Amino acid sequence: MASDQVIHATGLRKRFGTVQALDGVDLTVARGEIMGLLGHNGAGKTTLVNILSTLTPPTSGTASVTGFDVVGRPDEVRRRIGVTGQFAALDEQLSGYDNLVLVARLCGASKAQAVGRADELLEAFGLRAAAGRRAVSYSGGMRRRLDLALGLVGCPDVLFLDEPSVGLDLPSRLGLWEMVQGLAREGTAVLLTTQYLEEADRLADRITVLGEGRVLVSGTAVQLKAQTGSGSISLRVGPQGDRAVAAEALRRAGFPPGVEGEPSELTVPAGDSADLAVVIRVLDAVGQNVSEIRYAEPSLDDVYLAFTATAPDTPAPAPGAIGRPAAPAPARTAHRSTTPEAERRSGDTPETP
Amino acid sequence: MNVPVKMAPLAEPAAGARVPRWRPAGRAAQLRVLTARQIRLVYADRRVVLFSVAQPVVMLLLISQVFGSLADRSILPRGVSYIEFLLPALLVTTGLGTSQSAGVGLVRDMEGGMVRRFRVLPLSLPLVLVARSIADLTRSGMQLLVLVIGGHLLFGYRAGGGVGGLVAALSLSTVVIWSLIWIFIALAAWLRKVEVLSSIGFFVNFPLMFASSAFVPVDVLPGWLAAVATVNPVSYAVEASRSLALGGQVGSEVPAALCAALGLMAVMMVLAARGFRRPPDE
Repeated sequence: MASDQVIHATGLRKRFGTVQALDGVDLTVARGEIMGLLGHNGAGKTTLVNILSTLTPPTSGTASVTGFDVVGRPDEVRRRIGVTGQFAALDEQLSGYDNLVLVARLCGASKAQAVGRADELLEAFGLRAAAGRRAVSYSGGMRRRLDLALGLVGCPDVLFLDEPSVGLDLPSRLGLWEMVQGLAREGTAVLLTTQYLEEADRLADRITVLGEGRVLVSGTAVQLKAQTGSGSISLRVGPQGDRAVAAEALRRAGFPPGVEGEPSELTVPAGDSADLAVVIRVLDAVGQNVSEIRYAEPSLDDVYLAFTATAPDTPAPAPGAIGRPAAPAPARTAHRSTTPEAERRSGDTPETP
Repeated sequence: MNVPVKMAPLAEPAAGARVPRWRPAGRAAQLRVLTARQIRLVYADRRVVLFSVAQPVVMLLLISQVFGSLADRSILPRGVSYIEFLLPALLVTTGLGTSQSAGVGLVRDMEGGMVRRFRVLPLSLPLVLVARSIADLTRSGMQLLVLVIGGHLLFGYRAGGGVGGLVAALSLSTVVIWSLIWIFIALAAWLRKVEVLSSIGFFVNFPLMFASSAFVPVDVLPGWLAAVATVNPVSYAVEASRSLALGGQVGSEVPAALCAALGLMAVMMVLAARGFRRPPDE
């Protein structure tokens, strides 16, 4: 095992009664790396984080964090990790300041050290003004920041962030992202679980997609996007145009349009943005003008759907490897218009109950 | 309102960068910090404290009037008034109410976020429970003092065993109450639901309280109940507390009560620690 691998898990399985929450997961994360753990509810993300953060033992398999076995040496692991969960793990009846001092004291700081550390973190997380107020009066964003600060009290080598953006508004989320990137630059390894594809895309150096307790695919965002093939061009035919004519011309030119919702819209697969000019020329040649046209990179949304849509029926690719989805993903446009999952995700901030 | 988080200080070494990692706190230091936190929780609401401390006096007033008016003097030990008979028993049974609220408090604490964080800190987890038991015990201590003072003011109660006997009775009751608190801490650690705990609490508390020698001597109870009362650990404690407070011959009641309490506490501590260690999702 390479010395800069701070998370090293092999063959992790976890069973709750009849539910196989994890079914043989391998994972490595290096120092300073942000690993995005992507998957829908029930994919096993939280279970994996709970095992790695010593909250729950695996049914089988092994995992070490900073070189210490999570089952055999939990105390050593706990000295070196920080955890920010889906729910703020703080004392609502205490002030932000008292929360930080309490945790620092329990981590072994003297009174003076604890006060010093609390001051640093309050400053860094923009909580100075609210330091003396009880946490119960904090907004969602402030709570999340305090929660993250509490996870950082002991200067962890590994930070676990379990769906940190749930319930955060956009400015708070952007602030959180910056903060996480800053920590990774300083050498903290970050394991981030998320359902926000944008978040994984923006933050993660590598992404692991979990489904049904298995690793469906793992790699960089670029690698994953390459798996889902081409991007697409969406266009709107002008007011005097005829969509049927335009669609037929595009089909003949090698751009078969997908199923559309809006009457004047067309979406066609495209290799890259250079195809924009080609598409416009094709339409111009048949007398169709274009009122709106846009090229879209393949999104993580597409990656996610491509790999998870097939998860229940097909064997997963070898863990850790970049594998093709076992069955071709249905047309992207069909997904967008038919699956509630996609509908929900297309909203900016889906609220997870 | 949420404002964008200020990032600048984190990018500099000051806040986020490695500082020498602290040596994990020793158990004594951990327990001190945890107990201070629990005491804060127990005394967070003054109204709750006020009413819970006043509660045993109300019990004394009601039970002495209800049962005292019925009780045939001849069933009591010779020369002993019902208040003298009852008050040392209430020193013990008061702890049953306290112990249930200790359990409820622990469940509430477990529902809050901080206990979730404790599980991933380099911390001896059972100390969280010990801290809880100590914090609740301090409230019990106040209840006992208020009970004795209230008994004196309302009924002119004086311990036959003098101040020494009274202090001994109070000390013994404190140990017994500590063990009763652990029953509910163990239940809370396993059940983890306030509703379940409260409904089971009734089945634990009322038999322990009434199937005992607390309110009437065992020999006037119906046979089967007398049998239950004889093995009830609360009876041991009540007998011991009573004999200390009344003064005179102190027999084997005291060591028996202490052994029962400490044994119970040891078993409950082990069960509680096991239950508490279970991760929240199992």
